[in-house]
Amino acid sequence: MMTESRLKKVLHTGNFAVTAECGPPKGADPEVVKSKGKVLKGYVDSANVTDNQTGVVRLCSLSACALLKAEGLDPVLQMVTRDRNRIALQSDILGASALGIRNILCLSGDHQSFGNQPQAKGVFDIDSIQLIQAVRNMRDAGEIIGGEKLSSPPQMFIGAAANPFADPFKYRAARLATKVEAGAEFIQTQCIFNLKLFREWMGLIRDLGMANKVFILGGITPLKSARMAEYMAKQVAGMDIPEEIINRMKSAPSKEQREEGIKIAVETAQALREIQGVHGVHIMAIEWEEVVPRIVQEAGLYPRPQA
Amino acid sequence: MDQKSSGLSFAIFFCRQLDPDQDVNRRALEKELGARVRFYPLPCSGRIDPLHLMRALESGADKVYLITCPIGACRYREGNTRAQKRIAYAQGLIEEIGLERERLELIVAAAGKPATIDERTRELLAGETSIGPSPVKGKKQA
Amino acid sequence: MITAERKPISEIKEMLLPYKKILVVGCGSCVAECAAGGEKEVGLLSSALRMDAKVSGKEIEIKELTLDRQCVYEFIDRLSDVIGQYDVILSLACGAGVQAVAEVFPRVHIFPALNTTFLGETKEAGLWVENCRGCGDCKLGVFAAVCPVTRCAKGLFNGPCGGSRTERCEVDPEVPCAWQLIVSRLEDMGRLDLLKKVQPPADWSKQQGKGPRKIKREDQRT
Repeated sequence: MMTESRLKKVLHTGNFAVTAECGPPKGADPEVVKSKGKVLKGYVDSANVTDNQTGVVRLCSLSACALLKAEGLDPVLQMVTRDRNRIALQSDILGASALGIRNILCLSGDHQSFGNQPQAKGVFDIDSIQLIQAVRNMRDAGEIIGGEKLSSPPQMFIGAAANPFADPFKYRAARLATKVEAGAEFIQTQCIFNLKLFREWMGLIRDLGMANKVFILGGITPLKSARMAEYMAKQVAGMDIPEEIINRMKSAPSKEQREEGIKIAVETAQALREIQGVHGVHIMAIEWEEVVPRIVQEAGLYPRPQA
Repeated sequence: MDQKSSGLSFAIFFCRQLDPDQDVNRRALEKELGARVRFYPLPCSGRIDPLHLMRALESGADKVYLITCPIGACRYREGNTRAQKRIAYAQGLIEEIGLERERLELIVAAAGKPATIDERTRELLAGETSIGPSPVKGKKQA
Repeated sequence: MITAERKPISEIKEMLLPYKKILVVGCGSCVAECAAGGEKEVGLLSSALRMDAKVSGKEIEIKELTLDRQCVYEFIDRLSDVIGQYDVILSLACGAGVQAVAEVFPRVHIFPALNTTFLGETKEAGLWVENCRGCGDCKLGVFAAVCPVTRCAKGLFNGPCGGSRTERCEVDPEVPCAWQLIVSRLEDMGRLDLLKKVQPPADWSKQQGKGPRKIKREDQRT
C-alpha cells in the first residue's frame, strides 16, 4: 500500500502538528469509533487510539485504527507491552502496516491492577524501549527480535511517550535520549499544566542536543471541572497540576467550569507554540473528543496544512 | 462472682517485676483454688510466647490472663509492647478454631498503683463474670 | 530465603477431616526463618488442632516433628521410623519440601499447611520482602543490586515508567520505585554509564524452562 504517514510529512515540512486521542468504546460497535473520527477529521493531522488504557478492556487499538483509516484519518497505533508478548507485538506491527497504519506509539502501559481485569497476568515480555528498538529494526533492517529476516518490512513512524513531571526529574531527559537512540522519532508528552516545569524540562532536552533529533508534541487535556482537576492532581500518578490552575477551575461557577477548562487548554496550546523545540500539540480530551475542533480553532491552528 | 463455686480454671501469666514477693504472695490462692489456678511468673512479660498461652488453654484453663507492667514502665523497654502483640496473635489463632478471643485477656497494670499478685488476681477473678467453661474440655463440667 | 504463610485453619481442618493420626512435620530452614513452619509454628498449629478436635468431639492423635530441612532426602529419611504409625503428614514446609517428602514416601498421604510465596530477605523482624524471581539470568550488577524483574511492577529493563512519583511505585505507594533506587544508587557510585546502553529483551526461556527446570552437576553426582 503506497500510503505515507501524514504526521511524519507535516512534521518534516516544518509545520506545527496537531494530534488528538480517540478513545475506543468498551464495546464492539464500530460506529462509535467512526463518529469520533468524523469529529476529528480535518482538525488533526493524526489521531491516536489508546490500547486498553488503564487496563480496561476496550475495542482494540489495531481495529479502531483500521476503522479511522477507512474514514480518511491518519491513525497512531498505541501499543502497550503489558498485554502481549514479543510474538504478538511483532505480529500486530506487521498487521498494522498491512492495513496502511503508519504511526505507532510504544508504551509500557498502566499496570493491570488498575483496570477491570486485575487478575490478568501482566505480560511485560519486553518494555517500551525494547519495543521501539524492535519496530525500528523491523522497519530498517527487515528483522525481528533475534535477527530472523522478514519477507517485507513494515512502514512505521515511531513514537514514544515522555512524562516531564515524573521522578527522577533529572534522569527523565537522559531517558528520552535513550528512547531516541532506540529509534523514537516523535514524542507525545503527558498532559501539561505546569508550564514552568515543562519549560525547564525542555531546557534540559535542548542542552542534551535532543531538540533537533526528535519531534516533541506537548500534551494537553482540557479540564471538565474543578473536581476533575483535583482528582487528577491527587490520584493520577505522574500528574502535576499547579494550585493556580486548580483555583481557576474552582473559582468558576460550576456551569462555567468547562469553559474555563477549554480556555486553559487553548492558552497552553498557544504557550507551547512559543517554546523552542516543541513541534506540536497532542490533545487528550478523554470522552470529550467534540471539544477538540474548538481548541484547535481557538489556538489558531486551523486549518491544518494540506498533506 | 465467687470463683470457688464457679468451677472454672485459670492461668495467670504475669511479670515478676509487678510483685517481687510473688512466690510467697500467691500461696493463699493456690491453697484455696488448688489445681484450678496456675501462676506463671515471667522475668518480663515480653518473654511470653503464643505457644505458652495455647498450651495453657490446651491443659484445661478456661481463662488465661497476661498481666504486664504499665506502658513505659517495662524494665526491658519494649517487653510489654511485645507481649501485647503476641497475645493478639494468639487471640487470632484461637478465634480460627472457634474459641472466644476473651479467653485470653491482656491486663496492663495501672501506673502508680502497686499491688501484690494476690490482690491483682482476686480482683480479676471477682470481676470475671462472662466466661463459661472452655469447649476444649468437652461437655462435662469440672 | 523462601517465604511462606500458614493457610487458614479452616482450610487445614478441611484437608484433615478423613484422618485421625496426624504427623505434623516442620522445617528448620527458610520457613522457620519467616515464622511460618519451624518447630514453634508446628507447636502452635498442633495445639490449635488438638483443641479444635476436642471442641468438635473428634478424636485425633498428633505427633510433632521438625526436620532441619524438608527438601533434602537425607533429612526426610528420619521420618522412616515413625511414618508407618500415622495416616497422614501435615507438612509445614514450603512446596519444595512437601513434594520432596512425597518423593521419598510416595504412598503416604501428605498435605501442605502453608502457602509458599516468594524468595526474599528479612527486612526487619517480622517483615519479609520479595527480592528475587529466579529468572535464571542475573543482571544485578547492571542495576546496582536492585532487581528490576522483581521490584519493578512492570519488570522494566529500561525504566522508570511515567508513573513514578515521589519515589514510589504507582501501583502500590508503599513500594519504592525500583528504578528510582537504581538511578540514585548508580548516581552515587558514579556509574550511570551502566544505563547508557539499551537493555535488550530478556531471555525468559531461562525462567520458564520447558516445564520444571533442573540443574545437573556431574562433579557432584555419585
